[in-house]
Amino acid sequence: MKTYPLAALGTLSIILSACSSEDADNATNADSLLTADWDAIQDTAQGQEVNMYMWGGSDNINNYLDEWVAPRIKQDYGIELNRVPMNDAQDIINQLLDEKIAGKTDGSMDIIWINGENFKAAKDNDLLWGDFTGQLPNFNDYVNADAPEVSEDFGEPVEGLEAPWGKAQFVLVHDENQYEDPPKSMSELADWVKQNPGQFTYPAPPDFTGSAFIRQVLYETTGGHVQYQQPAADIENLEERLEPMWQYLNSIEPYLWREGETYPESLAKQDQLFASGEIAMTMSYDPALAASEVLKGRFPESTRTFILNGGTLANTHFLSIPFNASDKAGALVAINELMSPAAQTAKLSPENWGDLTALDLEKLSPEQQLAMNEVDLGEATLSIEELEQNRLPELSSEYIDIIEEGWTEHVAKE
Amino acid sequence: MWRKSKPYLLLLPASFTIILLFFGGIFDGLLKSFGYFPAIGETGLNLTAYDRLLHSSDFWQSMALTLRVAALSSLISAIIGAFLAVALFFVNNSTKKAIPRPWQRLFQLPLTIPHLVAGYMVVLIFTQSGFVSRLLATVGWIDGMTEFPVLVNDSFGWGIILTYAWKEAPFVALMLYPVLSRIHGSWRDVSRVFGAGPWQFIREVVVPVIMPAWTIATFIVFVFTFSAFEVPFLLGVTYPSVLPVYSYQLYTSGTLSDRPEALAVNMILAAITILLGLVAYYVSKRWNVLKGWG
Repeated sequence: MKTYPLAALGTLSIILSACSSEDADNATNADSLLTADWDAIQDTAQGQEVNMYMWGGSDNINNYLDEWVAPRIKQDYGIELNRVPMNDAQDIINQLLDEKIAGKTDGSMDIIWINGENFKAAKDNDLLWGDFTGQLPNFNDYVNADAPEVSEDFGEPVEGLEAPWGKAQFVLVHDENQYEDPPKSMSELADWVKQNPGQFTYPAPPDFTGSAFIRQVLYETTGGHVQYQQPAADIENLEERLEPMWQYLNSIEPYLWREGETYPESLAKQDQLFASGEIAMTMSYDPALAASEVLKGRFPESTRTFILNGGTLANTHFLSIPFNASDKAGALVAINELMSPAAQTAKLSPENWGDLTALDLEKLSPEQQLAMNEVDLGEATLSIEELEQNRLPELSSEYIDIIEEGWTEHVAKE
Repeated sequence: MWRKSKPYLLLLPASFTIILLFFGGIFDGLLKSFGYFPAIGETGLNLTAYDRLLHSSDFWQSMALTLRVAALSSLISAIIGAFLAVALFFVNNSTKKAIPRPWQRLFQLPLTIPHLVAGYMVVLIFTQSGFVSRLLATVGWIDGMTEFPVLVNDSFGWGIILTYAWKEAPFVALMLYPVLSRIHGSWRDVSRVFGAGPWQFIREVVVPVIMPAWTIATFIVFVFTFSAFEVPFLLGVTYPSVLPVYSYQLYTSGTLSDRPEALAVNMILAAITILLGLVAYYVSKRWNVLKGWG
């Protein structure tokens, strides 16, 4: 009995001491991985357990990773892929930042799923491992590294710190049985909202999709996106320039769901309102989301997506490896696998996810191209050509911060 | 020596962990709220974050909302909980038997459900397109979903209060029932002899007996609802938000410079909670709750 407390103390001290002899080896090995040849990397990766931290708010995406990707990676490379759901990519960055401050060198995150909103913060704070994309065979074979949507992420140079995983584009969602001709511009939308009070709303920022809708308004009400391709600090009259956007949002506010007194706190809530018929429109940064919701029976069969005549925001989303990942070799192999034509083709199907591919179709073999083109995107999804022809670039993340804070100030409080 | 200190030694690992994580977290938050943030090159201590908070109308709006929601939630829970406990006590007294199990289980049900789930349940049941609204529309009591009153995401906070009342009332009842069960059955008979009706009995005997425990239970509910996040996040409105949600919004706004303010909100929450705790402790000491009575 006497030994019990001592044993407990001993155990506790072991748990609390995050110190192991492997750390030093890891650091040296890790940097050699950036130059090692691919076979050596695959050998090192054997038997590693790779934790993939990502936004976990979509059943489809989660199932695609758990049911389609993980078993294949386990079988072909002997790597355990663990999906760790996070509420928001920002939480990933916050945690990494805290680990960096605390000097934690054996982090639990091996792969993180981020995009421009968080990439800049991660890059500025040195939270990412290094220039690794050149090591991936699938990146070298199938990706056009010079294309602007791959070399830049929300206007921030990528520099090999993250690998493109897929492309997304902002679309609006409606039920064609209810309203046949959806509004095709922001001014038409304003008229539509006033004619159909209570039928439209958008998720409150910092929700990713709601924030994208506001940027969409910004582009159309303040004279296009080109002016915002420079640092925010260089625009002297930024406040005045943003004014028409706030005016627009305030002009439609009284006609929104609940008279604009409140906004859905997440896209999930907004989709719920759409599914139960409380509102007539929802939106998505995922062109095939509506199709997969129809497949699941949540949205009505007559659900369709549409874009605006002036084009809609599009971006590439990326996978990266944090500075303190414990299993970097496994992470490299897993990311390479996620970028393989087979995995990308499966990802394109609304049954799995419906996410557009990050690969360059021109670089695929004829069979691979055929497989991609044969994927049925579902009635609700627009054709890839139509989406491609109407892409608008994203803003740099400093603007997003300004807009999200401004929205609370100018719109939510009014 | 060993005999005396043994229980303390056995508790050491657990208490060490709690102290390390709990006070460590609070200390870290306190430092950051004073602007100590090496990651962005801030190593000085100042009160800027508190100053900015106390001068922002957002903060005071949030504070007012949080106090209102917490006060109403805890009051309603306290009343319903006491009512439940007393009702159970009378049922028990008249039947001279233990409460049948199914009843007990029914009252304990809300205790087993996490707050997040309870919040979602309220959303699904009480939104304008929710279960109740559809039911009424089908029966024909209301013409369409827009006629159904706005109970969720309303600016007053009814949705939040409703959820907490349902969740915490059984907790209050659970705290009161053991105290009530110590009232001897003969007291009721004695009170009858002196001509007291049931209401007088409740007023003169039951209420004084449960008062101390009732105060404590209500206080616990108040402190919890004052600093909880998930229910207001799901059921609140975009603006103003309750303090914990406000802190979360500041913390996740993407700019690191807002973090000291977010943590300052948390520190203010903690300070108010501690202050209220001291008040409750003082009150309970005066009433000798801690000595129990037997």
